[in-house]
Amino acid sequence: MATTKVPISTDVVSDVVAEAIPAGMEMVMMPVGIPGYTLRQEQRTIPATEPPVLPINADLKFIGRSPERWDGHAKVSGQARYTADVQLPGMLYAKFANSNVPHAKVVAVDTSAAEKVPGVKGVFVIENLLGSAKLLNPALDVSKYPIIRYAGQPIAAVAATSPQIAEDAARRIKIQYEARPFVVAMEQARQADAPMVFPGPANEEGTAGGGGGAADVPQTGNIHGPSVNTHGDVEQGFKEADVVVESHYTTQVQVHNALESHGVVADWKPGLLTVWASTQGTASVREGLAGFFRLPKSQVRVITEFMGGGFGAKFGPGNPGVVAAALSKQTGLPVRLMLDRKEEQLSVGNRPSSDQTLKIGARKDGTLTAVQLVSYGTAGCGTGAGCAGPATNMYQYDSLRTEENDVFTNAGPGTAFRAPGHPQGAFALEQTIDELAERLKMDPLDLRDKIDRNSARRVERQVIRESAIWKTRNAKPNVDSGHIKRGVGVAQGVWYRNISMDSAAEVRVHQDGSVEVLSAVQDIGGGIKTVMAQILSEQFGVPPQQVSVKIGDTNYPVGPNSGGSVTTASLTPAVRDAAWQAAQKFLAGVAPALGATPEDLVLVDGEVRSRSGKMAPITFRRAAAKMNTSEVSAQARRIPDYDRKAYETYGGVDVAEIEVDVEVGLIRVKRILAAHDCGRPMNPQQTKSQINGGVIQGMSYALYEDRLLDPNYGLMVNPNLDRYQIAGSREIPQIEVHLVQSYIGQSSTDASGIGEPGGIIATPAAIANAFYNATGVRMRSLPMTPAAVLTALAHSQQKKETA
Amino acid sequence: MNQFSLVDCTTVDGALSQLNDSSVVKAAGVDLLDRMKNGTATPSRLVNIRNIAELRGIHPSPQGVTIGALTTLTEISEHPLIRSEYTILSDACGSVATPHIRNMATLGGNLLQQLQCWYFRSEEFQCLRKGKEICFAFEGLNQYHAIMDYGSCPSVAPSSSAVALLGLNASVELSSAGRGKRMVAIKDLYVHPDANPTKFNVVEPDELLTAVVIPRPAKGTRSAYQKYGEKQSNDWAIADAGVVLEMDGNVCRKAAIVMGAASPVVRHSAEAEAVLAGKPISEETARAAGKAAMQGGPLQTAMQGAQPLSMNAYKVQLFPVAIYRTILLAAGQMGRDPSAAG
Amino acid sequence: MSEAKLPADQKDPAADPLHSDRDHPVENKAAKGMTRRGFLKGAGVTAAGTALLEGAQVFSREALAATRGEVSGVKEYGPGPVQVSLQVNGKEQNVLIEPRSTLADALRLDLGLTGTKVVCDRGACSACTVLLDNVPINSCMTLAMDAVGHRVTTIEGLAKDGEMHPVQAAFVKHDALQCGFCTPGMVMTCSALLEKNPKPTEEDVRTAIAGNLCRCGTYPKIFAATLEVAGVSSPEVTPKA
Repeated sequence: MATTKVPISTDVVSDVVAEAIPAGMEMVMMPVGIPGYTLRQEQRTIPATEPPVLPINADLKFIGRSPERWDGHAKVSGQARYTADVQLPGMLYAKFANSNVPHAKVVAVDTSAAEKVPGVKGVFVIENLLGSAKLLNPALDVSKYPIIRYAGQPIAAVAATSPQIAEDAARRIKIQYEARPFVVAMEQARQADAPMVFPGPANEEGTAGGGGGAADVPQTGNIHGPSVNTHGDVEQGFKEADVVVESHYTTQVQVHNALESHGVVADWKPGLLTVWASTQGTASVREGLAGFFRLPKSQVRVITEFMGGGFGAKFGPGNPGVVAAALSKQTGLPVRLMLDRKEEQLSVGNRPSSDQTLKIGARKDGTLTAVQLVSYGTAGCGTGAGCAGPATNMYQYDSLRTEENDVFTNAGPGTAFRAPGHPQGAFALEQTIDELAERLKMDPLDLRDKIDRNSARRVERQVIRESAIWKTRNAKPNVDSGHIKRGVGVAQGVWYRNISMDSAAEVRVHQDGSVEVLSAVQDIGGGIKTVMAQILSEQFGVPPQQVSVKIGDTNYPVGPNSGGSVTTASLTPAVRDAAWQAAQKFLAGVAPALGATPEDLVLVDGEVRSRSGKMAPITFRRAAAKMNTSEVSAQARRIPDYDRKAYETYGGVDVAEIEVDVEVGLIRVKRILAAHDCGRPMNPQQTKSQINGGVIQGMSYALYEDRLLDPNYGLMVNPNLDRYQIAGSREIPQIEVHLVQSYIGQSSTDASGIGEPGGIIATPAAIANAFYNATGVRMRSLPMTPAAVLTALAHSQQKKETA
Repeated sequence: MNQFSLVDCTTVDGALSQLNDSSVVKAAGVDLLDRMKNGTATPSRLVNIRNIAELRGIHPSPQGVTIGALTTLTEISEHPLIRSEYTILSDACGSVATPHIRNMATLGGNLLQQLQCWYFRSEEFQCLRKGKEICFAFEGLNQYHAIMDYGSCPSVAPSSSAVALLGLNASVELSSAGRGKRMVAIKDLYVHPDANPTKFNVVEPDELLTAVVIPRPAKGTRSAYQKYGEKQSNDWAIADAGVVLEMDGNVCRKAAIVMGAASPVVRHSAEAEAVLAGKPISEETARAAGKAAMQGGPLQTAMQGAQPLSMNAYKVQLFPVAIYRTILLAAGQMGRDPSAAG
Repeated sequence: MSEAKLPADQKDPAADPLHSDRDHPVENKAAKGMTRRGFLKGAGVTAAGTALLEGAQVFSREALAATRGEVSGVKEYGPGPVQVSLQVNGKEQNVLIEPRSTLADALRLDLGLTGTKVVCDRGACSACTVLLDNVPINSCMTLAMDAVGHRVTTIEGLAKDGEMHPVQAAFVKHDALQCGFCTPGMVMTCSALLEKNPKPTEEDVRTAIAGNLCRCGTYPKIFAATLEVAGVSSPEVTPKA
């Protein structure tokens, strides 16, 4: 491995190297491209302290293989301890009292009856609410308690000796409201005379997962926007077009519904606040609590041993974290506050809706002359409903204009949700491209080849083109005559390489030959623990299950917040660098006892070997016994990517085969082939698991899920898992994942993330295109329930009859 | 859930001695605990009949079959005799909710569960069926609500087993300490909201539903039940159909066509049944019957035919399909519908 | 765009939101002055037969049978804590619970068996699956007192002699888990399926877990893992290399 590294003296400028190599840097050749298609060696200038360049997966022993999930045993045996499972001596259970009106001023909160309930130890009334948009000028709406802007907004909480007592007591908190006019339907909220959710400009900041609305945009009534982005002249572009397609699309609000709800166990002791949190970011919780309570970060410790899913909604302490900590401070006892399912549905985030008018012009050869998107979306009393990402970043075009608008409604705040804005945007964009292909009499894959320059997606389309499922597609829509109509459709997604520089790890090597890796990063289900173990295995030759992986604790070096698909891409180079550095220290430590110089020793395949051959190889474990200290350790943090000029977006192409029962309006997804890239796949099995998950969540979004608010009372009628419909076992199609290894030469592991690009962006649009292929009718609204399907088919029938 | 005391009963007589105007009976508790957790039921004392062994079991006789009220839906759906002779009931019990719920839920509990309307289930909405004045569904979200004969409340009949038992002309046995036993036909078990919005069935506070008695079907009887949902795993019916055909070769002597998710009370369709009577079963007759089911029928209100609400016109398309496919399934002319749920 | 209003009969915002029925004294009649936590310290995770609390009601069906003639087979318990004996994973354990405690509550809070998860708390997701006499049920919708006299098996009791149950091993092998929160319920359901039907089809597996919700999307691998344990090959679900 070390031979792939080509050190070049910094004071020599060769003809090959155009620029001088800065001090401390060296030039290396790295594998770049897609094996079997475009693989080549490219030059990178990287710090000389970086470990040797990794070859492609085929030449590695542990990285790029699929050892079993490191904590799989703990999870299948029930031993894994999640936040909801933490029990501490004397721990109290807290429960919120929530608003049951969508818009009101709280006049009084009477907690006296709750306090009298035996077993109640503390009561807390919220004065500083987190998680929704804030008025830029708070003076416009002065109130002792936060204004209620959605039903389900937490108002106060109690802590008691049992969950049952806490619930009994929370129900005894009396809240006096001064009701205000409200609006929950976006179409109504856009009207000039609609009740105002905020009396003036307001905005919500994004989280580590993304989301949040544009700052410095106008606000008119409930409309926060537009946020405008332009490139070239779209009017000119449309004039030059031979074909123009324009359509209107709407999508619903989707709720994350991670199985473990939001919540914490907070233990406030003098000098140290310890919080177990179900979070995607131990760092974000620590920062949030330290900021809220004005504590030094060094006095806040956050622990996330296991967490039961987040999908973008779990960053920062949120109201549960702050309130539990306050109650713990007040009572001197640890406090557990986990939301119930209804609260989870109402108050901790969702994927905003969208209402998109998309217009695209193209020449006869398929090239796009103009792309124009006007979107509205509601993130309730939050912001972040923009969805122009796919239209802006997927294809080449001469001109572009996007206008994104957030519309405030009296509903729970939206927040980042797995590829924020992108499933919505792709639903409109990819159907429009499909329509364009039909109008241009082009194959939909050929058209995309023409307008999409991304090299990985080009390969992915080729995989699709050669697949059995695509070959069964009838280019002509609506050819089946019975009540079951079969269709095949394709769509693509786009995502971005996001890196968190707050990614560090420590690796320790012990005299007994054991190795451990430590980082505050949390494993939200993606499997980062396994990948960290694999990296140490590759370095030390120790099997992954024998590597000690200690994460999810801010006592360890800082870890990235798991949002934006950053975790693997950000943390793994730090882990590898730390492992490499620890190995060098280890070799230095054993060299004297081995009668060798450190420079002559290498640690390869679990053996310490001599480069010169002076010494017979010795196992890592036996060599460790000869260490001159009981432990060596190295800590490394993420360094910037090697060559950001070489960045491309990445994405994936999904094809769906569906059957539509046109008499009952039921869509059954039969097969999905998902072709995706994520740099170097570190553990292909886990990567495929995540893509399966994105495909299924995307399908579930497309066909079933819908947060339903009663328009007359502003209350959610399905705040449960009985009526909030999520795909179950009988809905699951046969899923085939084709993982495209796409080396990009950017870090010591060259990994990228897959949580967002995998499935959720392209699958809904692929299903919609398959529906058109099956029936000849476009579904321009989600979810595609039997009611929606029967209505769309009947409407199209009517149009045909009147025509 | 609020605090309550639990009266543990091991005999029917013991349980009956505990019943009064304020008593709340708990069998498995699937429906009751849901309402208590939602805050819409707050009983202070539960009479727990779950452990009364004599109320559990399937007892065939020359006259038919008697099923104890505490027999679980799984036990019923998997019972060989029920599968072969009372297929509609096996189908219906096997389609309810989830496998785990079916392992817990009892036949009596399934028959006497309260409405599944989301307004009724929600603590915040004090509706007509909770003794108040308003129904929220008419001007609210009603995509899953009734399309026929609903009058003042368009919630739909929630019990799948009731659809089957109505088709089979079954009766329930009600027992009380003071008045002994009485039999009530399934068709008379439920109270339409227009007759009394807060009384869901005719079971009196001192009565316990102890058994279901099903007459033996006539020779040549074939039956089936199918339900349709938005998804196929664990969903409530947006349309369902129970079909019992008394056949003479391929000619239908007599048919029972029953719908649950169409109206507040489980209903026969006299029109659909008339279409089939005396005719051979074919896709054509089955479709005609399905279409006819959207007409009148025996009415408890003045509403003739299907009258969809603002969001559920699709159900008027769906029911005829559910019915024709289930007729063909019962007649053996079509397999189980891959689009059906449960 | 209507005035903010409360659904009927809640028009007075100052009104006590509580139904009058809810006004039960939360105080424990059986042992006045002691907190529930106090009880738990005594009765929580301790072995069978210990920590009987003076004055606490003890649930026993034998006592009920003995006095049947006089009280016609009924006995009222609660609303305060009642001492009950649960047979969990082969061990009799005493817990002190209110009648309103669900089996999931008793397992998680009183016995510390937190492998059983509560997600929807309404029987719609089956994360709380345990076996009652080998039959999978929702422990969140079962009162703990109703489990008395039955054998309760939780995820912690599935491994035998330190060996993972074959379904557990297959889940790990196939990576049939991600965040892991649905996993205990899935494993319980699939192991119960194989007890009942050792040679299931993929359709049988889908039907068995139709009530078990997973949000990470592990289903395809759960099908594969379960079928592999059964020795049933299913090319449909085998992940392609």
